[in-house]
Amino acid sequence: MRVSLFNQLMRAGASRRDVLKGAAGMAALSAASGVGLGALTRPAFAADDLRAQILQVPGVGKGQPTDADFQKVGEMCLGATKASVKQGEFAGVELTFMGLNNQNLHNVLYRGFLKAWEDYTGAKFTWIDLAQADYGARLQQSIATGTVDFDVIEMGAPFEGDVCGKGLASEMPDWVKKQIEMDDLVNYLKPPVGTWDGKQYRVTVDGDAHNFNYRTDVFSDKGLADAWKAAGNATPWGVPTTWQQVQAVTKFLKGQKFNGQDVYGYLDAPKAWGGFGFYFLGSRATAYAKHPDDKAWLFDADTMKPRINNPAWVRAIQDVIDALPFEPADQINADPNTTGFSQFLAGTGSMIPWWGDIGSNAKTNDSSVIGDTVGFSILPGSDDVYNSKTGKWDTLASGPNFSPNCAYLGWGVYVMARVDSDEKKKKAAWSAAAHLGGKDLSLWCAAYPSGFQPYRNSHFNIPEWVAAGYDEAFITSYLKSEADSYNHPNAAIEPRIPGIFQYYSAAEDILANTFAGKMKAQEGADAIAAAWEKLTDQLGRENQIKLYKASLGV
Amino acid sequence: MAVATLGLLAIIAVQILYKTEVDTIGFETWRPVVYAYMLWGVAIGIGQVLTRGEDGQRALFLLPALLFTIAMVIFPTLFGFYIALTDWNLSSITGRKFNGLDNFWQMLADPYYRNALFNMVLYVLAVLVEYAIAFGLALLLNAQIRARKFFRVVFLMPLMLSPVAVSWMVGKSIMEYRFGPAATLARYLGWENPAFFSDPITARISIMVLDAWTFIPFMMIMLLAGLQAMSREVLEAARVDGATPWQTFWQVTFPLMLPVSVTAVILRIIFKLKLADIIITVTSGGPGGATDSVSSFIYREYRDRSNVGYGTMLAMAYLVIIVVFVTWLLKFANRFVRNVN
Repeated sequence: MRVSLFNQLMRAGASRRDVLKGAAGMAALSAASGVGLGALTRPAFAADDLRAQILQVPGVGKGQPTDADFQKVGEMCLGATKASVKQGEFAGVELTFMGLNNQNLHNVLYRGFLKAWEDYTGAKFTWIDLAQADYGARLQQSIATGTVDFDVIEMGAPFEGDVCGKGLASEMPDWVKKQIEMDDLVNYLKPPVGTWDGKQYRVTVDGDAHNFNYRTDVFSDKGLADAWKAAGNATPWGVPTTWQQVQAVTKFLKGQKFNGQDVYGYLDAPKAWGGFGFYFLGSRATAYAKHPDDKAWLFDADTMKPRINNPAWVRAIQDVIDALPFEPADQINADPNTTGFSQFLAGTGSMIPWWGDIGSNAKTNDSSVIGDTVGFSILPGSDDVYNSKTGKWDTLASGPNFSPNCAYLGWGVYVMARVDSDEKKKKAAWSAAAHLGGKDLSLWCAAYPSGFQPYRNSHFNIPEWVAAGYDEAFITSYLKSEADSYNHPNAAIEPRIPGIFQYYSAAEDILANTFAGKMKAQEGADAIAAAWEKLTDQLGRENQIKLYKASLGV
Repeated sequence: MAVATLGLLAIIAVQILYKTEVDTIGFETWRPVVYAYMLWGVAIGIGQVLTRGEDGQRALFLLPALLFTIAMVIFPTLFGFYIALTDWNLSSITGRKFNGLDNFWQMLADPYYRNALFNMVLYVLAVLVEYAIAFGLALLLNAQIRARKFFRVVFLMPLMLSPVAVSWMVGKSIMEYRFGPAATLARYLGWENPAFFSDPITARISIMVLDAWTFIPFMMIMLLAGLQAMSREVLEAARVDGATPWQTFWQVTFPLMLPVSVTAVILRIIFKLKLADIIITVTSGGPGGATDSVSSFIYREYRDRSNVGYGTMLAMAYLVIIVVFVTWLLKFANRFVRNVN
């Protein structure tokens, strides 16, 4: 760094530490740019002023955003709406929005984002807020009883079979596709995701994959490194890159001290969470179960025969059973919400898989204490991978098998078909959806606690994040883990089949018994397989096979 | 009345034929049938007055409640029994299908349901402990102690709280393993790993304690009312006859309080049989089903798995079990009170 630049920064109030961190970050960026992220970075231009401005609301490290910030961002991003809608054009239109209120996010933000939109267009929204665990049931009941009482819904791609497949959603007009710049979506979220029978329904507002979050301070600690070596481990102390290593590290850390406190390794989430908890077993299993030569990993594509009781999944279940005694004493009662927000962000545990929320909350959530000590990667791999076609474990010539779990495929905003009969209402609903899925607004959502992760190619422009106040090394690590998960050639893609959460929920109950020691891993897996077979028959096997194949692209 | 009845039956028949796709004429929703039922009720009322005079006018006092009960209790219960005999998964493309007693046989073989029923037995037995504590508190608040009114209000406060709020405030905050005050106190007292919801027995006891904390005030207030209504002369006579405090309690107070006690215990058992919200919020039935109640299991079956037919069968079977059990309990309690007195 030039001395003149250093002095200028010091005069501007930056501390010596900040400057050094920035310099180190730039060095890290330079290195990263050369190995993959380079293609995703570009310099910020004057035309990006709006994006730079919204990222300063409130500014990373300046406290958690409030409703005033949501409203301000919503107002600043209203340009596209003003270009397509006249002021007061939707006066008298009343719309209902159904979505989540987890962690005071999702709908809570949307209210603020839509405030300026409502003021400008004259339309009014009423809100149906749901907890995550209540969401699926509420939606299924509305569909089955013909009581769809909402015009716009925040919904995950796994439900597209239930909603779009039954003709309940409104097809996206072309002007919306243009406004939200759909080509900017990362590849794995492009059609067929968001479509049904070739029609586009979804305004994507989120990208979902489980990445691997770890504590950099724990894995760079000399005391732990010495203890690791003294315990007879030949490999150097560092961040695990395979599940075998995760297990070894978790067992090693039990009883160790770090900064004077007990330190723990991996945190499992064994408690049921309305079906969503199953994703966390999935993240442990994909490296074992998702073979690069086979797109299927949860069911056999031709028969819907469950693979949950094959040796790969049973190994993942056994890993949880083996690891739990080395995790915090009450871990059996931890759901993903606990592991992510009550434990990891609060400083307990040194490794968890989660959606990208950990990264977007680590530095911006008031309850986080790990902002400066967290790193990210794709999910660990496995030294061997199970081949369902041969029934044998393969060791790949390329090294460990990696398979990021693209769990849930992100949230989208969908407009319901019930508005189609009223052109004014239909345009209003789609305009609101387009506003929420706008390119600039989405950047803000990715950068601050919102419940949504990066999902557009334009989200991976690191200088924008750094300008917002993110530490460069941190954000490079975070975005690389997300991009590498989305773009991985062996990613495990969520099946978009009706009733998928019923499969997960049935598994959760049986897994709870298995993790509590009432069943062996294989017995539990067999019981899940039996329950899934029954469920497939109940839902209609032929139809499920057809939709599963479609979701896999086979 | 006959015309109104025939009209109502005709509308119901048309709508059933339409909904079962036997006929093409019918209403999009069932709302017209509800309106027809209300009109039928009005016609029945008018008919009663016209045909039975003053007796008919008297019947008018009863008729609205009767029609309401039929619409809101009897019909839904019968409809529930019908749903229990169907295979109805909300995600199924084929919709609802009648499947006879399949759900019933499945229920008999369901280890999760049996486990939940077993847990309910333990939860119900815990009511006896709650009763003992509630009686002790009631005696305390009935005695001449300082700030008696203040304590009465304070002891009642848990009852005013929603069980969900209790779950979060106590189960997930005060009893939280890392930072919870209860866990900190337990560590201070020598419990190395104070995890209240990890071990099956501890978790079950913890749920019982949480539930008891909420509902002991309910029993306490009933018992306190009973104690205050008790004749003081009887107690004074016991003292004059030289009875010790224990003898006074055991041979005078307790027998005289039996009717109130039985009422309090039975009402509390009925509340207990519905135990769900604390379990759903704190443990989701875990670890390994150790804390699962029938209601929390049905909740998962119905809500998370959208398995409406089977979930309804579980609920209906539980309803029958409760009705039989409470009927037996009332008879047993009556006989017990008669024998003691």
